[in-house]
Amino acid sequence: MNMIDGKFARRDVLKGTGALVIGFALAHCSPREQQTQVTVGQYGPPEDEIDSWISISQDGTATLYSGCCELGTGSSTGLLQVMAEELDIPFEKTQATGPDTNRTVDQFVSSGSRTIALHARPIRQAAAEARAALVEMASKRLNVPADRLVTDGGIVSVMGAPEKNISYGALVGNERFNLKVTGKVKPKDPSQYRIVGQPVKRIDTPGKVFGTFTYVHDVKIEGMLHGRVVRPPSHGASVIAIDESSVANMPGVVKVVREHDLVGVVCEREEQAVRAAEALKVTWSDWAGLPEMKDLYTTIRNTPEFPSGYADEKSRPMGVIAREGDVPAGLARAAKVVKTNYTTPYHHHGSIGPSCALADVRADGVTIWSGTQTPYGLREASAKFLGLPSQKVRLIRLEASGCYGQNGADDVVIDALVLSRAVGRPVRVQWMRGQENGWEAYKSARWFECQGGVDADGKIVAYETQTWGFSGYSRPEYHEPMHGGEPGSLVTAQLAGWEKPGLEEGFGGASNNFEPVYADIPNRFVKFTYLGPTSHRMGPLRMRVGSMRGVGSPDNIFVAESFIDELAVVAGADALEFRLRHKPTERMSAVFKAAASRANWQARPAFAKPTSGDIAKGRGIAALGGPRDTNVVGIFEVDVNRKTGAVHVTRAVVAQECGLIVNPALVTDQIEGGVIQNLSRGLFEEVMFDKSRVTTLDWSSYRIIRFPEIPDVLDVVLINRPDLPAMRVGEPASEVVWPALANAIYDAVGVRLRNMPFTPARVLEALAAQRQASL
Amino acid sequence: MAETKTLRVNGASIIVGPAEPDTPLLYVLRNDAGLQGPHFGCGLGQCGACTVHINGEAVRSCQRPLSAIGPSDDIVTLEGLGTADKPHALQTAFIEEQAVQCGYCTNGMIMQAAAFLSKNKSPSEAEIKTALANNLCRCAAHLRIVRAVSRASGQA
Ligand code: FES
Ligand code: FES
Repeated sequence: MNMIDGKFARRDVLKGTGALVIGFALAHCSPREQQTQVTVGQYGPPEDEIDSWISISQDGTATLYSGCCELGTGSSTGLLQVMAEELDIPFEKTQATGPDTNRTVDQFVSSGSRTIALHARPIRQAAAEARAALVEMASKRLNVPADRLVTDGGIVSVMGAPEKNISYGALVGNERFNLKVTGKVKPKDPSQYRIVGQPVKRIDTPGKVFGTFTYVHDVKIEGMLHGRVVRPPSHGASVIAIDESSVANMPGVVKVVREHDLVGVVCEREEQAVRAAEALKVTWSDWAGLPEMKDLYTTIRNTPEFPSGYADEKSRPMGVIAREGDVPAGLARAAKVVKTNYTTPYHHHGSIGPSCALADVRADGVTIWSGTQTPYGLREASAKFLGLPSQKVRLIRLEASGCYGQNGADDVVIDALVLSRAVGRPVRVQWMRGQENGWEAYKSARWFECQGGVDADGKIVAYETQTWGFSGYSRPEYHEPMHGGEPGSLVTAQLAGWEKPGLEEGFGGASNNFEPVYADIPNRFVKFTYLGPTSHRMGPLRMRVGSMRGVGSPDNIFVAESFIDELAVVAGADALEFRLRHKPTERMSAVFKAAASRANWQARPAFAKPTSGDIAKGRGIAALGGPRDTNVVGIFEVDVNRKTGAVHVTRAVVAQECGLIVNPALVTDQIEGGVIQNLSRGLFEEVMFDKSRVTTLDWSSYRIIRFPEIPDVLDVVLINRPDLPAMRVGEPASEVVWPALANAIYDAVGVRLRNMPFTPARVLEALAAQRQASL
Repeated sequence: MAETKTLRVNGASIIVGPAEPDTPLLYVLRNDAGLQGPHFGCGLGQCGACTVHINGEAVRSCQRPLSAIGPSDDIVTLEGLGTADKPHALQTAFIEEQAVQCGYCTNGMIMQAAAFLSKNKSPSEAEIKTALANNLCRCAAHLRIVRAVSRASGQA
């Protein structure tokens, strides 16, 4: 197996935390046997060899070498199910390891809920071919033609004579297959699946409940020191002077480190580093280049378009997502016209554990322990930053606190590298809570303008939605299938004086799902106006943005599915019937029907039967889907407290069809998590800032959902379509939450909330405005 | 002045330090005792990720200085609450209900709930939600956590 021999503190091993030594390579279980060796190129072992993916030990345990990062969603369990299925091996006799740039294939970024949808494919193929190879071997050993052999439970046996058999371990135990993945072996037909599709329990749970699981935060190596960084007090400030004497007498201080505007301290003990970083006197230049919060959305609207960012978007030239017919002409013949604006704020990822990394920079090579989602991209970015060939740098990826997109996991690696290089010893760095909130990449704030009309028959005759926003993506790695990465995307590299800009990612993902899911809308115009890349240290609006669960899709669906509701209201139509009237796809309609039947939806226009008393009850519906994507419908029932403004979800029905379901328990888990997280974002969350910096630096200024606020009932309806490929699981269901909420609030009290979050203050304000208007 | 101290952790005496008296217990448990159950989440007493038991009470170890711990104080961490061989009812229930996503908050959820269940043997769902109201989970495993605590109640 892969480990840096002898680097672990003996002390830790003796104390019975020995799991930690092997833990980093095999995050959930110890290796049962010696593993096979592979040759590693610049981007890992060759993709087209079985040995790069799978090894089988003498006791018959199959190890999966996966380049996919477990993000706390159970995806590694799903991948093991896929391997076990194709290999015909019991799930209990499988284990997973990686990613590690010394052992696993570059599987690019693990994001967008795609691990099972996309990254399982090469694993499925390699496992199918490994099984075929085992049958061939058994055929020779047993002297029986291969077509008379069957595989089950890790054993090859003769059809009709099960006593004549040989185990996988006996056939190949600890040996290499030495075979190419040819693509010629056909994986199983889904109708034969016995392990895929089962609610197998996650492999990582026991370690996590017994406190034996090793996160990146837990790695310790011999001679390791502790670092903490000192960040500028404003997004644009630079160091004028550092007074090292301010910490000279503090215990344990090894070194004060400065590289351009990246400042940190290295100490013997962790708490010493925390205290020294607090005490270090740094004089920073003044900077106050952010807009006033109240002017945020006009600032976004007035930011000039960034036309070169459209260059690679052939399918969406100049940000135009849909253009059909003639919107002004449609509006001219509409019986009712609606024109509205919407806004969505910046969001924190809100990882419970601030980002952490450990780096060991030595003359003969560099090792990084990281919670990244892009092991190879970050490895190459790190190598470039250090001026080293990338194969001099090894990156071992371990699980971290859930990240939900681009939190500080990649950035903190640069901090650790700078500090380790300065002291010539391994250094562990963890960000403090305020640093995570202050320097991560936020979900971008957005501005929206909508106009549309319905004719006298209640049919939409014009539909226009436009949005202005920044990139939804600013990771340090290139887009698949291009390997490698650039440090310039990392704010820590920018602080350290790295001048070459990062990758220009364009607006791509941020514009997803903005087009309505209804085919029968004759005059339509949908556009994303891209405002370019931006970060704390560069760009037009100095707030760093990056991907967060769903990227821009939740914002787009919030507006698309709220606005369609507004049109239904002026048409006097039932919200569901109005949607079906405009012809969603057949797949989508099936999901609408499943959700409506579970929620017992009764047709009536919204806010038709307002409830009296302090608690008003309402229901809202919203949908999302695409021809090759997951289709989801959410129906939310809410209580709106007219006195306090509080919104409580009494019941949420979420129906989802995501093609083939690999593990229904994991899918349900992801839907529950996504829905409650986005309920939190929709009801409470907004990153605040003053003219210099973000001010929501802790959990009291940035409130997230608490137990008493979760839905009373969350009802998940899964539609399995084994005839379709597996599609995205983690994100789509979460994306119907905001419009379903807004539509339900409208139904309850007749006010339309177009600016997130829907805090009690916002609800009360809207109710007051409603009262004013009715006077 | 930095000092070396003997603490009672998970039923054993361990020597920690030398560390300053204001050192939060969390760092001592993680770095001196080599424990991986309690996690650093906020260092502000706001999230619960660092929760341990001191004499049976749930305590946020990021807020408890070493100087406030006496030789007779009985500290229990997630590792000491139960093990794979002798699991606490909550640990079993968290596995049964699959109440863990990334698991970074799980330590706090189990330790807070264990202290709560030791006083309230058969709580209602609403009481469980109130008891955990100051423990944050960003992966939003809330529904399963509530189910797991309900399942464990009466057995804890
Ligand atoms: S880390 Fe102690 S309460 Fe958050
Ligand atoms: S499971 Fe990830 S924070 Fe709770």
